[in-house]
Amino acid sequence: MVNSRFTEYLVYIGNVALAILIGLALGALIIWLGGYDPVKAYTGLFETSFNPSDYYYFATTLSYATPVIFTGLTFAISSRAGIFNIGAEGQMYMGALGAVIVASMNLPSPLILPMALITGTLMGALWGLIAGLFRALRNVNEVVATIMLNWIAFWIIEYARNYGLGDPRRQEKTISMPVEGRLPLLVKNTELSMAFVIALIVAILVYIFMWRTKIGYYIRVLGAGVKTAKYAGIDPRIITLYVFIIGGALSGLGGALEICGRPPTYAITTAASNIAGFGFTGISVSLLGLNHPILIIPASVIIGGLLAGSRGMQIKAKVPLEMVMAVQGLIIIALSVPGFTFVYRRWRIKKALRGGGSA
Amino acid sequence: MSEMCVDNPLVLMKDIVKVFPDGTIALRGVNFELCKGEIHGLLGENGAGKTTLMKILAGLLKPTRGEVIVKGRKVKFRSPADALRFGIGIVMQGLSLVPVFTAYENIVLGSRGTKPSREFVEKLMKEVGLIVPLDAVVENLSFGVRQKVEILKMLALNVDILILDEPTTNLSPSEIRELFKSLKKLREEGKSIVFITHKIREVLEVTDRVTVLRKGRVMGSVETSKTNPRELAKMMVGRDVELLIEKPPWRPNGVALIVDELEVMGDLGVPAVKGVSFSVNYGEIFGVAGVEGNGQIELAEALAGIRKPLRGRIVMNGDDITKLDVSERYNRGLAYIPEDRKVALIMEFSVLENTPLTEISYNKELVNRMGFMKIKRIVEKSMGIIKQYGVVTPSIYAPARSLSGGNQQKLVVGRELMKDPRVIIAVQPTRGLDVAATEYVRNLLVKMRSSGKAVILISSDLDEILGLSDRFAVMYNGRFMGILEPDKVTDEELGLMMGGYTYEEIKARKV
Ligand SMILES: Nc1ncnc2c1ncn2[C@@H]1O[C@H](COP(=O)(O)OP(=O)(O)OP(=O)(O)O)[C@@H](O)[C@H]1O
Ligand SMILES: [Mg+2]
Repeated sequence: MVNSRFTEYLVYIGNVALAILIGLALGALIIWLGGYDPVKAYTGLFETSFNPSDYYYFATTLSYATPVIFTGLTFAISSRAGIFNIGAEGQMYMGALGAVIVASMNLPSPLILPMALITGTLMGALWGLIAGLFRALRNVNEVVATIMLNWIAFWIIEYARNYGLGDPRRQEKTISMPVEGRLPLLVKNTELSMAFVIALIVAILVYIFMWRTKIGYYIRVLGAGVKTAKYAGIDPRIITLYVFIIGGALSGLGGALEICGRPPTYAITTAASNIAGFGFTGISVSLLGLNHPILIIPASVIIGGLLAGSRGMQIKAKVPLEMVMAVQGLIIIALSVPGFTFVYRRWRIKKALRGGGSA
Repeated sequence: MSEMCVDNPLVLMKDIVKVFPDGTIALRGVNFELCKGEIHGLLGENGAGKTTLMKILAGLLKPTRGEVIVKGRKVKFRSPADALRFGIGIVMQGLSLVPVFTAYENIVLGSRGTKPSREFVEKLMKEVGLIVPLDAVVENLSFGVRQKVEILKMLALNVDILILDEPTTNLSPSEIRELFKSLKKLREEGKSIVFITHKIREVLEVTDRVTVLRKGRVMGSVETSKTNPRELAKMMVGRDVELLIEKPPWRPNGVALIVDELEVMGDLGVPAVKGVSFSVNYGEIFGVAGVEGNGQIELAEALAGIRKPLRGRIVMNGDDITKLDVSERYNRGLAYIPEDRKVALIMEFSVLENTPLTEISYNKELVNRMGFMKIKRIVEKSMGIIKQYGVVTPSIYAPARSLSGGNQQKLVVGRELMKDPRVIIAVQPTRGLDVAATEYVRNLLVKMRSSGKAVILISSDLDEILGLSDRFAVMYNGRFMGILEPDKVTDEELGLMMGGYTYEEIKARKV
């Protein structure tokens, strides 16, 4: 048993490597078709993400890994319960907004950081709760509900930036987190702050929560099916609410940490450009990490590297931003395929085991 | 036998044996004959081999031995497509339509080459008198209409030998009447129909001939007009050798459970339990017999609190528990062994993780005040179950999936009995188990009963019910047909009750 599990994972790692190669190859093709040099582009990508001779770049990679750890955890918890919460995006927006609101309030300095993180977490949780209520009480499909809530959150922060929370001197962003509310940097002159450490701790806490507490156990039981959950004496609706609240809180905290721990702006920029996409990327991170809180960490570093390396591609190979994004998206999707098939296969086996067929 | 058809039989199946890869012998030398233009009933209890036999005819399964002759030619079907070429089509138990497609799309879905035009399908509908709304999306249609869509789908494929596997299961009485009318119309059109069922009444109503299967053997093949419910019942049901279960005398000791006029909704939106009343004593096994799908599961789930009753009352140990939730019922000493092991166990979870499944919700000993599980306590419990109930597993850390079916069941039974319950509901507790495991589980239930617990045993295995119960009921279509003692009832009466006649009707000689 142990052995077959072990080989299963070895095969998985092989698949991930293969997916990376295929993703890179497809990306190269696009770059080449666009009339640019793929070799130069990829050199640029790696030099600015996993460059062994300059730690600045790896620090940047980790700074990008930070938010997607949180959104990845949100998705992972919900998948474990058999729920498809793709609302991390909006929950993260609301968390960031919460931190910005605190930044605007002139609180005494020692209170700013904790209040910003707490408010962000609560606002994310609230945003998750709304989707959860739809699903638990009215049985509204969570995908539809969370996508709608993502857009609502987007327009709320845009509105807030334009009316009230905008930086009076710079139209393109909200008020920044004052210096007293910022997290210390881990490495000087980089974008890597304590937020990354917090992300690591939270991932470990989520792991403990899921595998050691009663509620975490219930969440995983619900993932095995509503029938089993009911048999166990669990109310699926309440556990569904937990899943959305906890998931929302995690992404909300991730969003607040972007405001408190992410140079240079410490704010939300136009059209949420500095936080947009982390929610969806978190789905890939979670799938790549097999929806496991600890495996999400290495997965986030791989994907964080891709996000970080985009600048290098732009600067070193002069590839236009849009194409960089396309290539990046392609590789990220390629990367989620093995995780997806792995999780899907397990799910199929599970389903087949449960199905049984007619007598 | 072959003199039974006027002409040569359309289908002749000779000495069919089917052994499944897992060693199950489903058919033990079956002869079957279908004449042209008849409706032929195939009657038998759960597991008699009805579906298997017809799957062989429809090319879905290959016989281990025996030959199949269709329209005078010896055939060896390798796929359903082969059977279709000979005009044989089957509508499976549990419908197989695409819910989001329209009726028309579903009807033409299986066609090869050019798909039948709308005009063709409309003409076909008129010809055979099966009218369905072609543009309606299937998921919005009732089960009765869906059944018609399935049949039309077969007819569009030019099928003239139509096999229907328990087509009336989800239908309301009026839909059944409609369906029967359609079948008779099809017969007039010259189609031949095999109608699989375990309902004697239906056989008598719609078929021309009936073949009765029991445990993989043909018990008889008769003209419907020349038989009666009693004869069919006797063919269908037969008591096997007595069970080897030692049962100390019955000593009922106070009322454990009272169920009063219980009515429970089924998944299809119609009541599945339609007013059932009974009581169970401590020190007693109360059996619920009947063909599967007659409301037994819904009854069990209502007793456990998983399904909310529409009406009625459940009193356990003197307290009204009708409104209590599942975990509170467990807390008060109820244990539930469900029919489906995939519900009772989480296959990906380890034996250890499956241990607290039905106990953690109420037992404070398994969780500390911070909400953390007390792993040490749970490990001890898990080890205890394995030891006491002889569950064979490499360790408590092995996934439940890796255990054999029998050991999975021992794990479930052990887990529930370890909670030291006062009232135990066991549904099909020996389904799929080998002889030794079956005997083991049955002995456990008897031991529970003899140590003063109340056991409710729901099973479609008559031998099990008759061998274990002190009293038992036969459930049919959501109702109890009678509550009896095992040694005071004949096979014939049993068969009739399972086929929908009440004990009073039978006693009053109204059948
Ligand atoms: N694929 C299979 N593998 C192993 N055993 C099987 C398989 N299919 C059926 N069986 C067994 O063969 C026997 C006959 O099953 P079959 O499905 O033909 O019964 P049936 O008369 O149609 O019963 P029901 O009324 O419950 O539908 C049963 O013991 C069943 O468990
Ligand atoms: Mg069958």
